[in-house]
Amino acid sequence: MIRRLYIHNFRCLENFELPIVGHSSVLLIGKNGSGKTTVSLALEILQRIARGTNLVKDLVKPKDFARGRADVPMRFEIEVELDTKIYEYVIAFEFPEGFKQLRVLEEKLAVGGKPVYSRELAQVRLAKTSQGKEAEFFIDWHLVALPIVQEQPTKGPLFIFKQWLARMLILRPIPSLIRGDSDQETLQPNLQVTDFGAWFSGLVAYAPAAYTKIDEYLKQVMPDLKDIKNPMIGTDSRSLVVQFSNNQGSLSLPFEELSDGEKCFMICALALAANNVYGPVLCFWDEPDNYLALDEVGHFVLALRKAFQSGGQLIATSHNPEAIRCFSEENTLVLYRKGHLEPTIVRPLSEIQISGDLVSALIRGDVEP
Amino acid sequence: MSVNRYQPHVLVLPEDDANRQLANGFLLDQSLSTRKIQVLEEAGGWNEVLDRFKSDHVIELDRYPQRFMVLLIDFDGREDRLGTARAVIPDHLKDRVFVLGAWSEPEALRQDLGSYETIGLAMAKDCREETDATWGHHLLRHNAGELDRLRKHVLPILFQSI
Repeated sequence: MIRRLYIHNFRCLENFELPIVGHSSVLLIGKNGSGKTTVSLALEILQRIARGTNLVKDLVKPKDFARGRADVPMRFEIEVELDTKIYEYVIAFEFPEGFKQLRVLEEKLAVGGKPVYSRELAQVRLAKTSQGKEAEFFIDWHLVALPIVQEQPTKGPLFIFKQWLARMLILRPIPSLIRGDSDQETLQPNLQVTDFGAWFSGLVAYAPAAYTKIDEYLKQVMPDLKDIKNPMIGTDSRSLVVQFSNNQGSLSLPFEELSDGEKCFMICALALAANNVYGPVLCFWDEPDNYLALDEVGHFVLALRKAFQSGGQLIATSHNPEAIRCFSEENTLVLYRKGHLEPTIVRPLSEIQISGDLVSALIRGDVEP
Repeated sequence: MSVNRYQPHVLVLPEDDANRQLANGFLLDQSLSTRKIQVLEEAGGWNEVLDRFKSDHVIELDRYPQRFMVLLIDFDGREDRLGTARAVIPDHLKDRVFVLGAWSEPEALRQDLGSYETIGLAMAKDCREETDATWGHHLLRHNAGELDRLRKHVLPILFQSI
């Protein structure tokens, strides 16, 4: 569960804190350009660090400073509660004059208030271990330390935090690009979920019981689904085949021939199974209602909300009235910007005066913090 | 696939945002079959609930005999509100339509019991466990008669454990 997410001087997010503590699911609403997707871009930077990207230039660029304000550090802070322990990770970047790329100004990981390591520019300090050893070393200031620092024991707090961050699901699917082929397994799908086949293979290999969860959800949505097969089609590659059957007969379809909406059902099934078998997971789904029939939107969003109620956290964005109606004022956050020269403001809907129903107020453009 | 219109299912027609959020909380109960219930767009007032029921839903209830409806309205402290609402329901549909709501308005309920979703969740728990911790609240207990009917006809559709 994220307890705190603070972002400063990154695109439209200045001194921005996302108030999601205590909520298993939240919805971000706001006009186009209000900063909803930028929140996911910030999370994506943290996720990429945990997945091993350590070159600063591959993570942030000078154009990412809010309104080009390069004389102020760009800062990302996340505080997460995992298995009753509080993990706090901070990274700040700066762009000194004469530099061609940003460098790390500050970096810190603490667990339960105790630092695992801290860093200022190139100097990294590892905290005392149980053997009483403390260490200091220097690292290129154009590299992020988190992917490099190796903690003992190898499955200790650093490993747990990095794994959680790496396994965040940040989803912005483009179904037309999703095929069912895979030549590897992963538990870390990409944003567009174009590696769906690898995610399916990884999930089922990691926990075969995940298939039951996937099947359970999909059969509610597509009652004529019989099963999903993932046969080998070459030495190292597989391809998903979806089989449907009813009393009239059966039909096997290559995954890529499913409709865009059906592919989204499949992604939802995997997200639910992932949270179940290797969660708790943070799932940020940008407009989960995209590609869905109107009568499916509510069920789809509610299935996600219910699954994350008992563990993990869901952050969704939407402009869709049906999706918006699935949330309530305490878990709906309104993002707002007066213009392109102003930063994003975020307020819980419960703190905003609305006349009449929310969707009508949104259509009128009357929802302003 | 949305709710299966040929299997028992429930449509909820809320008066306003507050009632919709109560319904949202109810649907979040882990034991509830979400795909057998659908919350419709807010009508915008209790009179509008009745108008929309008459104009849109009477015909559809005739067409789909497995459909049940819950009209979620505020009673505004009026003893006659239930009777007024029930009078709009054609006799042959009275067994399949239920009128529920807060005695004054849900805002008052929220001051006592927490957020609308929390209240909705607690209402579902009461239904599932056949208790009245929330339904027994002084702003909800007037629903006892409708709730009895609901327990008999609708809750077994939504909660497999009942």
